[in-house]
Amino acid sequence: MHIPDGYIDLPIALAVGALAVAVLSLAAKRVNGEIPDSRAPLLGVVAAGVFAAQMLNWPIPGGTSAHFVGGAFAAILLGPHLGALCVATVVAIQALVFGDGGLVVLGANVFNMAVVEVYVGYAIYRLLAPYGEFRAAFAAGWLGITAGALSAAVQLGLSSAFEYQLVTTLAIMGVGHLALGLVEGAITAFVYRYLARARPDLRPDAVGEVTA
Amino acid sequence: MGRLPDWLPRALAALLVLTLLAPVFGWAAGQVGYAEPLENAAEATGATDHATATGAAPFSDYGVSGLGGPTGTFLSAVVGTALTLLLGAGIGRLLGADADDGR
Repeated sequence: MHIPDGYIDLPIALAVGALAVAVLSLAAKRVNGEIPDSRAPLLGVVAAGVFAAQMLNWPIPGGTSAHFVGGAFAAILLGPHLGALCVATVVAIQALVFGDGGLVVLGANVFNMAVVEVYVGYAIYRLLAPYGEFRAAFAAGWLGITAGALSAAVQLGLSSAFEYQLVTTLAIMGVGHLALGLVEGAITAFVYRYLARARPDLRPDAVGEVTA
Repeated sequence: MGRLPDWLPRALAALLVLTLLAPVFGWAAGQVGYAEPLENAAEATGATDHATATGAAPFSDYGVSGLGGPTGTFLSAVVGTALTLLLGAGIGRLLGADADDGR
């Protein structure tokens, strides 16, 4: 889902990038001074885990492959604001150090994966958690990545490189990620369940972090 | 700087396992061909040729120039994971309660 430079028209890239900066600034403001010293390394470990997990391209028979993005996972484990900052860190390093995703469209990639996927995923998790945390985490991962893909599809479909074929980009990316998102949902749910059982003290509500 | 949490060694071990798996998954994905919906959408609309590379990333395409695929992928995974770990922990400390106390 990492958009390269040249795919999105500059005004769209700049506008979406500005929106991403505004949301991340607010996120940083919300959690500033709220993270206990003992919990600070968790942000680094989750970010590093998301980065490493994104390098695992799961081969899917039929000529495609998918990788875990981790937006909903980070949001559930860290809370949405820290989750957004965590995934933004990953996306920035991917673009600057590894050339994965363009520099001009870095803000758009951050918006899609670190803002839309994280906050939509978290909202779905909170909505469904009363009915079971496992299925809530699954739906959060599944629909969070689909929401991020749809956001990217709108930006691409409104751009000249894609000949303004918004319906095509929405259909291909929406349906594609709705299917591939099942892997995202499964990994999110199983890893979160394991961590919640093994280390319940790592849950955001266990330390009174700002979560909404 | 406070005491490191007791879960950190196990977390770092898990990260090491993930970096070791990166070349294996890279190879396996290469066997089926790597294509994401974004690439499919670009092909369907004729946008593929519009992709441009801005700037020069030091570990372009998660590889290291002069090294073979799996070794380069592994080194990229180690470098990226370490960088993300340090930057993420740094941001966490910067936004931490103790950092606030010191202001």
